[in-house]
Amino acid sequence: MVMDFVTLGGNLLGTIPLGDIVLYITPFNLFLFAVLLGFTALIAVSKPETQIEATMHYLHNTEVKVGPKEFKQRRFLSVLCGIASAGAMITGDLFNFTLFMALVGILNIGIVSAVKQTTVLNSAFNYGLIAMMCSLPLFGGAAIILAATGTLSLAVLSQMPASPMVVFGAALMLVGILGESGVAPFFASKAEMFRTAGSPFIVIIHLSSLFIIVRAVEILLLVLW
Amino acid sequence: MRIGVLWNKLAEPKNIPRLFAFSLGILLIIGLIVPMALNPDQLYVRPAPQVQVDEGLAIAPYDRGGEVLKAPGNINPQYPENAAKLGMITGYMSPISEWVSSISPYFGTSIYSSPGGLIDEILYYTRGFDTILESSILMMSFIIASWLSINYTMNRKNDEKEIKADVKKAINESQQVANEVKVSDVKARSKQLRRDN
Repeated sequence: MVMDFVTLGGNLLGTIPLGDIVLYITPFNLFLFAVLLGFTALIAVSKPETQIEATMHYLHNTEVKVGPKEFKQRRFLSVLCGIASAGAMITGDLFNFTLFMALVGILNIGIVSAVKQTTVLNSAFNYGLIAMMCSLPLFGGAAIILAATGTLSLAVLSQMPASPMVVFGAALMLVGILGESGVAPFFASKAEMFRTAGSPFIVIIHLSSLFIIVRAVEILLLVLW
Repeated sequence: MRIGVLWNKLAEPKNIPRLFAFSLGILLIIGLIVPMALNPDQLYVRPAPQVQVDEGLAIAPYDRGGEVLKAPGNINPQYPENAAKLGMITGYMSPISEWVSSISPYFGTSIYSSPGGLIDEILYYTRGFDTILESSILMMSFIIASWLSINYTMNRKNDEKEIKADVKKAINESQQVANEVKVSDVKARSKQLRRDN
């Protein structure tokens, strides 16, 4: 059986053609897209939380606040991060997806880079190193799949049988996605980034990688089956 | 090694890039034994490397044929129906580019050919959305870099806690060094005394 848009996402509701990059809308992709855009809208209007910690040996509390300048920068980057991950949900082009992924990665670093806590910045730096390394497997994987099949369109790729070269390209992409979204063995640097104030902005980092993993599974199924 | 020790090592952010680089390296080494061959049926066809250079074309390796607004060039997109006029301006060159290409055989590899000297329709039309995303990635990195350089968030000199910890560490270390020096001094003196006696 061949996995295509219909078996994975439900009936094709429509396409948005932008030259060779065609965005596909199925109920599955539309749901992911709408949830992310809704959450992004919530972030755009919400105010950040303040962390209050008990101070050791003293009777007062320590407040970790988000200043107005930092707030503006982080809100801007979070909203863009939400839009970028929403775009990754409906794109129908392999290379376009990897570009969205790279954009989400750099925005994740950006949201955290505005923080003034050195431990958080240290882990953001380590995540940045991974994100930099990820560009090799992500774009390299897409390039290998292009070389093996001659196309980048997911609709065409889903109808093609997978050769060993395509499987290797998909495995490379998978490693890139795992590193960029910080799953399983590579979680520590990304998890440490969350340990700071400004909740809704921090949550978009988490949410974007979560949704991108779901979409990546769909894309890998389309390419491999 | 016990598995708990491994988990603890995985929880240290600074180990993660090393682990990632290692696993990526393993996968790339496995890639050496995967049979690889270029599928000749490709989108966005190009002549083989060096063919246009050997032919002596000034705009090598960017010549896709076609005549501006008259005959389309050879582009072979995935969805030709989405871009009916594709290829009509792919041979366009600005007057300056036209002149440079007439006097130099290296126009295609010079700075004049991009951006704007030669129009690459794949970049700006068929896959234009990719180009938008690429430049937004760049723009985001500039935004982040300018924020960091203006606000200098990594400035640890002004972080009070950091200073205290550093100063304490420095004091401890200098005391240790002083103690060691003292001990070795006493040893040397006693040795010298024994020798003298």
